[in-house]
Amino acid sequence: MKMLTYNFLAIYRRELQSYFASPLAYAIATIYWILAGILFKAAFDGVIDQGNYVDLQAQSGVPIPPIDVPYELLRTYLGVMGSLSLFVLPILSMGLYADERKRGTLELLATSPITNWAVAIGKLLGVLTFFITMSLPLLLYEAIALNGVNPPVQLSVILLGHLGLILLAASVLSLGMFVSSLTDSTILAAILTFALVLCLWIVSELAKNFGGVVGDALFNLSLLKHYTNLVQGVVDTSSLVLFASYIFLGIFLTAQSIDALRFQRS
Amino acid sequence: MIEVEHLSKLYGSTSAIADVTFSVEPGEILGFLGPNGAGKTTTMRILSGYLPATSGTAKVAGFEVHEDSMAVRQRIGYLPESPPLYPDMTVEGYLNFVAQIKGVNAGDRPQRIQSALTRCNLLEKRKTIIRKLSKGFRQRVGIAQAIVHDPPVIILDEPTVGLDPRQIIEVRNLIKNLAGDHTVILSTHILPEVSMTCSRVAIINHGQVVATNTPESLMTQLMGSSGYELEVEGEFAAIQQCLQAVSGVKTIEPMLTDLLPQNRLKIKVVSESETELGSELATALVSHHLKLYEMRRVQASLETVFLQLTTEETPVENVDEVEPSDAAIEGGTPNENADL
Repeated sequence: MKMLTYNFLAIYRRELQSYFASPLAYAIATIYWILAGILFKAAFDGVIDQGNYVDLQAQSGVPIPPIDVPYELLRTYLGVMGSLSLFVLPILSMGLYADERKRGTLELLATSPITNWAVAIGKLLGVLTFFITMSLPLLLYEAIALNGVNPPVQLSVILLGHLGLILLAASVLSLGMFVSSLTDSTILAAILTFALVLCLWIVSELAKNFGGVVGDALFNLSLLKHYTNLVQGVVDTSSLVLFASYIFLGIFLTAQSIDALRFQRS
Repeated sequence: MIEVEHLSKLYGSTSAIADVTFSVEPGEILGFLGPNGAGKTTTMRILSGYLPATSGTAKVAGFEVHEDSMAVRQRIGYLPESPPLYPDMTVEGYLNFVAQIKGVNAGDRPQRIQSALTRCNLLEKRKTIIRKLSKGFRQRVGIAQAIVHDPPVIILDEPTVGLDPRQIIEVRNLIKNLAGDHTVILSTHILPEVSMTCSRVAIINHGQVVATNTPESLMTQLMGSSGYELEVEGEFAAIQQCLQAVSGVKTIEPMLTDLLPQNRLKIKVVSESETELGSELATALVSHHLKLYEMRRVQASLETVFLQLTTEETPVENVDEVEPSDAAIEGGTPNENADL
C-alpha cells in the first residue's frame, strides 16, 4: 500500500511538472487568461446595463423585480467560464496518454509495479491541479469586482460556484483522459474529446425533443444543467453524483483501455 | 531465473513466435540472437509482462509473467526497443521518477541513482534535459532506467543500437559487469556482441529457437570444419576438379567478388574435419599448373554459424555472398517493427 502511494505520487508529480515545463501549457494559459478577462468584462458590463435598466424602469413606475447585481455577475461569469473551459480542457487532456503512447513511455509504465488505476488517478489529479493553478489568477477579477458590494455576496455561493467549475473540469478531463488513451494522436484526442464533451454539454437541449423516460434520462446526463445548478447556488445531490460518476467513468475506462491495449497490440 | 516453456504468440493468424523454450540461470547473460523480425522483441515483451502470450508459460524468478504480473514487474528492469524517455525531464529527474514507480525507498534513491549514473557514464549529463541528449546518451539513459532499482533480472532489447563504437564497448563492459549479481537477457542482431558479452546464446529465427549453447561450443559444434579462401588463376571447372582430388575436402565454391583481375577466381574450400589442408591444396594446385595468388585460412565465426542456422537455402553459398563482420550490423533496425 505504501508503495502504491509512492507510485501514484510519482505519476502525479511528473504529470504536473510536465505541464509547467511545457510551452504549450503556458500558451494555453495565456489565451485562457485573455479570453477570461474579455468574458469577465462582457459579463460585468452586461450585468451593470441590466441593473441600470431595472433602475430606469423602476423610476418610470414600471414594476420589475429588482436584481441582485453581484450575484448575477457571478452567475453569468461562471456560466461563460464553463463554456470557455470546454475548449481549453480537451487541449490539456489530449496528451495525457496519447503522448505516452507516442513516446513509448507507456511501455515503461506498463512494465513497472504500478496499476493502471494509480497511473490514471495520478495523471487526472496532475492535470486538474494544473487547471486549478491556471485559474487562480482569475479569482483576482472576482475579488476586485465583488470586494465593495454591500451586502456582501455569501461566501457559500461563491465557493459552490467554483466547486462546480472544478467538478466540471475534472469530469471533462477524466473523459478526455479516456479518449487520449484510445489514440496516439494528440490532435485527434483533442477533437474527439471536444465533440464528446459538447454532446454532453448540450444533451439537455436535445432531450427536450424526446420527452418521456429517454428525454428525462438524457436531460439528467447534461453537464450544462448540473453545472448551472451548482453555479446558481443550488446544492443538488444528483449534480454531485453525476459529476462524480463522470470522473469515475473516465478513470475506469482509461484503466480498462490501457489493459485492453496489451491484447490488441500488433 | 528465467524459464520459458512452449511460448507462442499469434498476431491475428500470423505467428510471431512459436513454441519457444529456453531458460536462463541466475547470474548468467543470455544473448538472444536473431535477424530482424525473428520474434526477439515479442519474446522480450512477453517476458516483461507488456504483452500476453497466446500459449505457453514464461516464469521470471519463479513468477508467471502474466498471472503474477506485479511480482514480476518488481523484479525486472526492462529496456524496450526504443528507450522510454520523457524528453522534458533531466536525466536525474527521470531516473528519480523511474526509481519511484519501481518502488525504491526514498532513502535508497539518491544512492541508487548515483550508482546507475556512474555505471552508465552519465554523471556529467545528470542535469541535462533529455531532449538535448544525443542518441547514444539517450540509449544510456535507457539502460540506466533499467538498472536503477537494482533488479535481479534485466531485460535489454537491443541495448547497443545507435551507439558509436566506443560507447558500444562501454555498454558491453557495463553489461558484462552486471552478470553475477543480475541475470541478464539481451537481444541483438549484432553477432560480435554476443560472443563478447554473453555466456550463452539462443538463436531465434522465424519465431523458433534453433539453437541454445555457449558461443564457443556453438561454433565448434556447427563449424567443426575449417575453411580456406584461395585466389587462383584459371577456369573454375578445372580448379574444382583438381581440388576435389585432395582428400578431406568437403565443398568447393566460387566466391562472388568484382575486385579481381581477369581470369582469377576466389574460391572457398571447406574441409571435412579440423585437419590442416593448406599444404595439400597448394601442392595440388601447383602440380596442375594452376597459379595460386593467395591462400588464407578462414576462422569459423559465430556469424557463419548464425547464417547457417537462419538461412533456408544451402547455407554455405550465402555465407560467401555476405562480407564478414559487417553483414549483420548493416541489417539495421528499421524493419524490426514487422514483429511488433
